[in-house]
Parts: sequence; C-alpha cells; structure tokens
Amino acid sequence: MNREPSARGGLGSVRAVYLVARREFVTRVRGKVFVIGTALTVGLLAVYAILQITVFDKLNTTTTYHLAFTAQAERLIAPLEASGPSLGFRVQATQVSNQAAAEPEVRGGAYDALVTGDPTSPLVVVKTQIDSTLRAALDGVVRQEALDAQLRAAGLNPAAVEAQVRGASIHLDTLQPFNAKNLQQPIIGMIIAFCLYLFISLYGTIIAQGVVAEKASRVVELLLAAVRSGQLLFGKVLGIGLVGVLQLAIIGGAGLALTVPTHILSLPGAALGTVLLGLLWFALGFVLYSLMLASTASLVSRVEEVGPASLPVTMVMVLAWLLAYVVFIPDITAASGGPTPAPGIENLSTIASLIPVFSPVLMPIRLAYGDAPLWQSALAVLLTLSSIAGVTWAGARVYANSVLRFGARIKLSQALRRVA
Amino acid sequence: MVDRLLEVDRLAKRYGAVAALDELSFEVGPGEIFGFVGPNGAGKTTTMRIILGVLAADSGGVRWAGEPITFADRRRIGYMPEERGLYPSMGVTEQLVFLGELHGMTRDGARAAAAAWLERLGVAGRGAEQLQRLSHGNQQRVQLVAALLHSPEALVLDEPFAGLDPVAVDAMSEVLRDRASSGMTVLFSSHQLELVEQLCDRVGIIRAGRMVACGTVDDLRHSGPERLWVDVPSAPDGWGAELPGAGLVRAEGSRRLFELSPGIDDQGLLRAALKTGPVREFRKDVPSLAELFRQAMNEEAVA
Repeated sequence: MNREPSARGGLGSVRAVYLVARREFVTRVRGKVFVIGTALTVGLLAVYAILQITVFDKLNTTTTYHLAFTAQAERLIAPLEASGPSLGFRVQATQVSNQAAAEPEVRGGAYDALVTGDPTSPLVVVKTQIDSTLRAALDGVVRQEALDAQLRAAGLNPAAVEAQVRGASIHLDTLQPFNAKNLQQPIIGMIIAFCLYLFISLYGTIIAQGVVAEKASRVVELLLAAVRSGQLLFGKVLGIGLVGVLQLAIIGGAGLALTVPTHILSLPGAALGTVLLGLLWFALGFVLYSLMLASTASLVSRVEEVGPASLPVTMVMVLAWLLAYVVFIPDITAASGGPTPAPGIENLSTIASLIPVFSPVLMPIRLAYGDAPLWQSALAVLLTLSSIAGVTWAGARVYANSVLRFGARIKLSQALRRVA
Repeated sequence: MVDRLLEVDRLAKRYGAVAALDELSFEVGPGEIFGFVGPNGAGKTTTMRIILGVLAADSGGVRWAGEPITFADRRRIGYMPEERGLYPSMGVTEQLVFLGELHGMTRDGARAAAAAWLERLGVAGRGAEQLQRLSHGNQQRVQLVAALLHSPEALVLDEPFAGLDPVAVDAMSEVLRDRASSGMTVLFSSHQLELVEQLCDRVGIIRAGRMVACGTVDDLRHSGPERLWVDVPSAPDGWGAELPGAGLVRAEGSRRLFELSPGIDDQGLLRAALKTGPVREFRKDVPSLAELFRQAMNEEAVA
C-alpha cells in the first residue's frame, strides 16, 4: 500500500485552507446579507453625493449680477469684478450707449442694475430695490475710486500707495501653534482605528456565528474527518476576512468614486501612507481577534450563546477603543489649541500600543500621529504576529476540543486542558 | 492483498470516570461488511470517531493495512457520522463537490461523482436545491453520497439505517452489498439486528466498551451449547427435568427446550422422548442474532 500522500489521499495544508476559505467566501458573497448590505451602503453613499451636488451646493452658489454700464462708468467694471469672489458674486457686464436706452431693459428685468455717470459718484438705476451685497460692493468700489482721485490730485500714484497699504501687517507670535497637519493625521488614525473596530466586531461576529452554525448543523464532524481543525479554523478566518475586505473595497471605492470627482472630499496625499499602514494593522488585528472569537464561539452549541461566550474578547476590543479615546483625544485637542495633555499620557500610549491586543487599534493612530519610532512599530508587529501564532495554537486546541462536544457550554480551561 | 485493512487494537477511552472503551479490538478485511452492534452508550460511536481521527484514544491504536493510520489514510475512508449534518442552506451538489475536494478530488471529478451518486440514490434533479428544502429521507441519501463520493477504500457508517423508510433501507443495503462486492470495506453500526444478520459477513457485539462476541453470524449462532426443541404431547408434566446430559431450559405447553451438555449426542434425548409416546417435533434451536444479542447483554448484566 502506498504510504506517501497520493494524488487522491494527500491534501496539502494550503489547499485545505484554500478550499475552506473559498467555500466561506463564495457562499457569503452570494448571500443576501452581503449583497443587500453592500448595495444599501453604496446606495446611501450615492444618495448623499447626489444630495450634496443638487441641494447643498445650491445653498451657497455664487449669484451672478447682470449689470449695464454706460461708457463713462465702465472704469468701475474691473474693480467690481475683482471684489466679486470675496463677496460671493460674479458680474455679467454689458456696455450700453446711454441711460435712456437701457432703462426699459432694467424695467423688463434683463439687467439687475444700470450704472451711469461719474465713477466717483455714479447713478445706479434699479427696478424696485437694490441687492444689499451689490450695493455694498458698488459703494466700496466707488469709495476706492474717490480715494484714488484724491491721491492723484495730491500727486501720488494710487497703485504705489495701495501696494504700501497691502504690505503692512501685524507680526504674529503664536504660543501654541495650530498645525493643520498635526490635526488631520490623528483624525485619519482615529477613523482607521474606528473602522478596524467596526470591521472586527462585524466580521468577527460572523465568523463566531459560522463556527457555531457548523457545530449546530453537525457538519463539523464530517469536515474534521477530512481536514485538521487548525486548517478549518484558519480557512474560515481567511475566507470571511476576505469577504470583509471585498465589502470594504466596494464601499470605499464607491465612496471615493462618488466623492472625489464631486469635490465633497479631498484625499490628502500625505494620508496614503497612513492608510496603507492602517491596512496592515487591519489584517493583523482581524486575524488576532477573529481567531479568539472563533475559538470562544466553539465552546457553545447554539447561535444565541455566541454573544455571552465571546464577551471577554469583545470587552478587550472595547477597552482598546476606549484607550484610543483616553490617550489620543487630549493630543488632538491640544493640536487644535486645547489644553496640553497630562505628562504621563505619552508613556501610557507607548506601553498600551505595544500590547498585542491593543496594538491593532492604537498603533495606526500613533503612526498617523507620527510619534511611533520605527523600532516600536516593528516591535508591535512582531509581538502581534507571535501572539497570532500563540492564539492559533491555543485557538485550534480549544476549537478541536470543543467543536464536537454538544450541549452545555464548555469551560475554557477545560477546553485548553483536554486533549481531544 | 492484505487480509486486514482496518484494525482496531486495544482502544481505550475514558470520559471522566466512565470508561467508554475498554481495550476494544477487532479487525475488518477488504471487501468485508462488518456489523457493529451494541446498546446505546456501548462505545460504537466513540470507536468510529477514533477511527476517523475526530477523537483521540487514551491508549491503543488504529491500523490501516498493517500500519498506524495516518491523516492521508483517513481521507480514503467514507464517513457517515451518527450526528448527521451538512450545510442546510448550501446547494446539494455544491456542498458535495466541496466535500469531495476536501477528500482530494478535482472539482470536475467531484461534480461528476456527485451527479452519478445522486442519480443512483434517486435524488437526481435536486442537486441545485438547498439541502434544507429536501425531505429527511432525501437528506439522508445526500449524506450517504457524501460518504461514497470520493470512492473510498473503506466506509465507516454510524447507524446508516436509522430513520430510513423501507425503500431507502433497501436502497442503502443494495449500495453496501454492491460496494463490498467491488472490494470496499464496510463497517457500520445498527440497532436493526435482522438487517445486520442479512448484510454482514461478520458481526461484533460490543457492551460497555468491550467486545463480547465477534465472528461470522453463523459462527456466533452455533457457538453456544446445542439446544433442541422437543414436542412430546403425551409426556407427563414433570418430564425432562432430570434427564442425563440434557438440561431443561423451559417448557411451552407440550414443547420443551433442552440444552445438551458438551459432548452429549442428541440421539439419547430423542430415545428418551420416544419413550413417552409420539414425538411431534425434534429440531435444533439456532438463536437469531437478536437472541444472541439479548443473551450477551444478560450475561454481562449478571456477571
């Protein structure tokens, strides 16, 4: 008898994990939860983008004034157009031969106003009333015109005087400078950390439920006769994790496609590195937590019991997120001009971010903030990787010991001790 | 050719204070159908789980073709667990293909085999449906396909007939006979002793984790002391209680059941019976498997 793994008898670990992962991926991507959930989110994004373009943008669009100028008043057009952007209007100027010719068109509504006469004291003809913004703009321009005339009369060059005036300014000494970059980066970090937290909660729960569903349907015994429990566990985490990545990519891609061209959101180039490092921590955090969630879920036999069984893991996750708040909110408020954080808090953030269960949430923020030295970052990755190895071993053991024991919830210590 | 494909060697397994298996040994040859009988909790399921590597034994071992069984060997076994279960909301063919691939088949090979087996077991045309939409009986057939799909060299079936209607029982028996005749080794457990008697080449009776009887059905039936039914209508009431070499087991009307002492010829009993008058019946009593089973259970209970 052939003792070597034959083409039929031998199934490599990679292939076993791949097959399990593929089943999870394919069945879930086709599932109602995924399709409807993704479509709904993308739909909401689209509705938001459309609203942004059609409704919100209308609320602060610049108005265009249609103005008629006689030849004498034409000199006012250029300065008026120049003051438009700051006051939120544009000027559509038309030259007319005289007041009498243009008045009927003012009456008919073709022009918002007719400007005629001496630029230092022009006559403005309107139908019923003048727009207050337009009036203020015209007043300003006319006053400048009057000033320029006075300056010329005094033998001065108005342009030179204006340059002098423009050049004069105060000298500012900011004691606690506001740094937009310092504010933006930790906020991106916080967003990444929060996304990670949400992602793990959502997909970790799906994995935990999947484990119990296989246990409840008893199919797990058939599977374990063909693949090792570690392969089954890892394939599950990988497959469902990829479903999550796909969903994130679809939603994120749709979000960017909808928001960037419409200028709702601009993605700062500097944030890209932060996002990429965030993705690394995404992967590490997801694998670490979902292995823990899956093995604790294997202790129970019914889907309703998943929540209580995985509570300790969920609590750690919540704690990580709370730590992020405690450690980084003071920093962010300080960056935007708030009170300086207490002195001990930096040590706390350093230590907490090196603890594997907290690293995936805290490290992305520290990286974004730019206060994590390379060695700390590398150490955290190393520590997390080794704890993944540890959790894989312990998790596979708990899983193997529990997954065929139906009925009452199994104690964790018992599941770790007993050899199946 | 190896005469023992699957060997179970002095398996022991404890669950806390309870010994589920106590030095259990037996072997099954290629192409043999081995029936595994015993009351609930005797250790049949535990044995099968250990064979499949789903459970680990405390001591003892399982050998495949003479050597300790490996993970790769176990993939050559088709398994039907006592706790039936497949993915309820997954398509029938889809999950069969998945299970086939897990056993090392190619996708196309698994698909073809699934189609062929579904057809043969009368569930053709249901392949695209979710498993949970099928009746209980049809789900059982799909479960059997899951065990047979990858052309295993051995089948280990835990209570394959439980919950089947007579038609399905016939279909299942037919498949088992057919597979065994083409060289597949079959080990199955059942409480339906008549079925075991009909199907099996050899039978093992297990009780409290120990093998109490093991052999061909004929061997087992003839292994006990010789018993004879004698119908003597004219015999007086107390007749038969004190015959040399023949103990009276029980009397039913004019019929009496005797158990002969070892080495005693039955002709002496016949002569003694004829002295009472006419003898209407004189035949050997060969116990059915069910009787042997009950007997084995009682002996153990007394011991």
